[in-house]
Amino acid sequence: MAEVVLQHVMKYYGNLAAVNDVNFTVNDGEFVALVGPSGCGKTTTLNLIAGLLPMSGGDISIGDRIVNDLDPKDRDIAMVFQNYALYPNKSVYKNLAFPLQMRKLPNDEIDRKVQAAAKVLDITYLLERKPRELSGGQQQRVALGRALVRDPAVFLMDEPLSNLDAKLRVQMRSEIKRFHQDLNATIVYVTHDQLEAVTMADKMAVMNGGLLQQYDTPARVFANPINMFVAGFIGSPAMSLVPLQASTVDGRVSLSSVEGWSLPLSDANARKVASAKSAKVVLGARHSTIRLHKEAATGFVPAKVYTVEPTGDITFVQAFLSGAIVNISLPPTVSVAPDEMVWLEFDQERIHLFDGETEMALRAD
Amino acid sequence: MTTVAGHAGLSRKHFVVQPSLLQQMWTSRADYLYVLPAIVVMLVVIAYPIYYTIDLSFFKTPPGLQLRDKIFVGVDNYTSILSSEVFWRVTLNTVIWTVASTLIAFVLGFGSALALHRDFAGRAVLRAILIIPWVISAVAASYIWKWMYHSDFGLIGAVLVQLGIVDTQPNFIDNIYSVLPSLIVVNIWREFPFAMIMMMAGLQTVPEQLLRAARVDGASAWQRFWHITLPHMAGVSTVTILLLAVANFNSFIIPWIMTGGGPSNASHIWITHIYELAFGRQRWGVAAAYSVLLFIILMSLGYFYVRALSANEKKEQGA
Repeated sequence: MAEVVLQHVMKYYGNLAAVNDVNFTVNDGEFVALVGPSGCGKTTTLNLIAGLLPMSGGDISIGDRIVNDLDPKDRDIAMVFQNYALYPNKSVYKNLAFPLQMRKLPNDEIDRKVQAAAKVLDITYLLERKPRELSGGQQQRVALGRALVRDPAVFLMDEPLSNLDAKLRVQMRSEIKRFHQDLNATIVYVTHDQLEAVTMADKMAVMNGGLLQQYDTPARVFANPINMFVAGFIGSPAMSLVPLQASTVDGRVSLSSVEGWSLPLSDANARKVASAKSAKVVLGARHSTIRLHKEAATGFVPAKVYTVEPTGDITFVQAFLSGAIVNISLPPTVSVAPDEMVWLEFDQERIHLFDGETEMALRAD
Repeated sequence: MTTVAGHAGLSRKHFVVQPSLLQQMWTSRADYLYVLPAIVVMLVVIAYPIYYTIDLSFFKTPPGLQLRDKIFVGVDNYTSILSSEVFWRVTLNTVIWTVASTLIAFVLGFGSALALHRDFAGRAVLRAILIIPWVISAVAASYIWKWMYHSDFGLIGAVLVQLGIVDTQPNFIDNIYSVLPSLIVVNIWREFPFAMIMMMAGLQTVPEQLLRAARVDGASAWQRFWHITLPHMAGVSTVTILLLAVANFNSFIIPWIMTGGGPSNASHIWITHIYELAFGRQRWGVAAAYSVLLFIILMSLGYFYVRALSANEKKEQGA
């Protein structure tokens, strides 16, 4: 096992920077998720680490070696692909043995390693089968096994769960997490599903437009998103973002809406607003931190219910607030109807404030 | 009352029977009507000629008599064919012609497809040039090659002499030993682009992720080809080889135009021989018997073709 360091990594396609000056360090034994929307550069980054694509600039090191010019086979990595990429004409045994055969290991050692990997992943009974005779989950395990036999320094996984159905995905998610814990493996894991990243990873690298937005533990990314993109991408339903104007009403720093109401801010939040470049401030709040009231009161702001989605134990409500959609979660006992006027109360301790110009989170300093 | 009704419903369900074949045909009578024109056309232009050829193969048709005065001779035509020296000569020629043309054209086509699969400057132009032999008229190409092989004025011989490889213009197609290989070269030149196109299409279906996985697993370019590409191409290769084999078995234009089967039957293959027997020497009965034998051989090739196709489909469904 080893650490992976990316320094100023660049990848151009023509003039387009698919990966733009990305820096991060995956510590030995860490599980890092690269997460972002389609085309954000996460898979390209993974392929650069694997050596399947040439870099346009920067350095990648695995262990204590710079691997920029090394072939994939010399980087001491193993990779698990989205559709598993099992060799269809080979049995499970031969799939597992293939990377060892390519390294010209003696046959008895190959057999010992294959059997050991099969035992770890509980696929011994599948060894004689062909990949097409396996279910999605079994193929997934074989793909993990083929990575495992090599005992590589780093495991690279490219959306390995996205071909599975929802139920199996949840199950395999915990299996991969278990796999990581048992082996203490260094894993770089690409996913577009922020829930996978949040639930599995030690750290997550949120990417957008080729740029690394934030690199931290899932809890800290969730609690302190660095900008509006990360705030909107991580968490489900997404954080509500309401563009407002900072102003002073009755001597208190407040956020005013074009609809005429204003929300007085706590002192701590007022200090954050003071650091904004302009009066444009975006209010961010997660669904669980907004309370819904049927009556007006001081500090409440008026909203109009748009949709109501009962899910059983939680009812999600979408409401229009100052032209933006706000997500609120309610206990199922509260009943609201579409187009009903309601009043929202924000938890001043848990709201997020963003600079409307730079889209960066505002910090009190 | 309700119980009785319930009972009746149950028992009726138990006695449901498949409608008879005639009933099924009657239900889908419109479908039969739609395919009827095609069936009629096929009966007239395929089934009847086959029947007539089989019928004719049991008769002797002396050139002096009209066709309707043909004489029934039983299986005489077949026995005389199988015991004739020419038959074995022509059969050997056909086997050499078919096997050599098919295999070499396939290997050449696969090689060109691999070469053209990688992206490089001028690929599209090169691909277009390589397809030319397949798209130009076979008759025109045969005449051009005939001149290029000419023993006095042929371009190929002249080049060989100029290069000092031989002293005098070689005799390519007026020589019983070199005529068949010379024609096979022309045939391969003509049909390797077909194999190339088929294999290029096949190469595009090799999953990129498998090749990447193999790269990470440490496979060299040759090992990736051997372990990933080649097994993936098994299906399209089978189909290509069978199609080439059938086309070669049925070749006519190149040998007929370039040599007419000569000298002394050295370049006769089945089709040219049958054609000469029928339309050159009016031996309709013998030609018909030859055709029946050819029909049997081609039908068995066709059987393997269909089997290979459906095996491919099964494999794809399974994957």
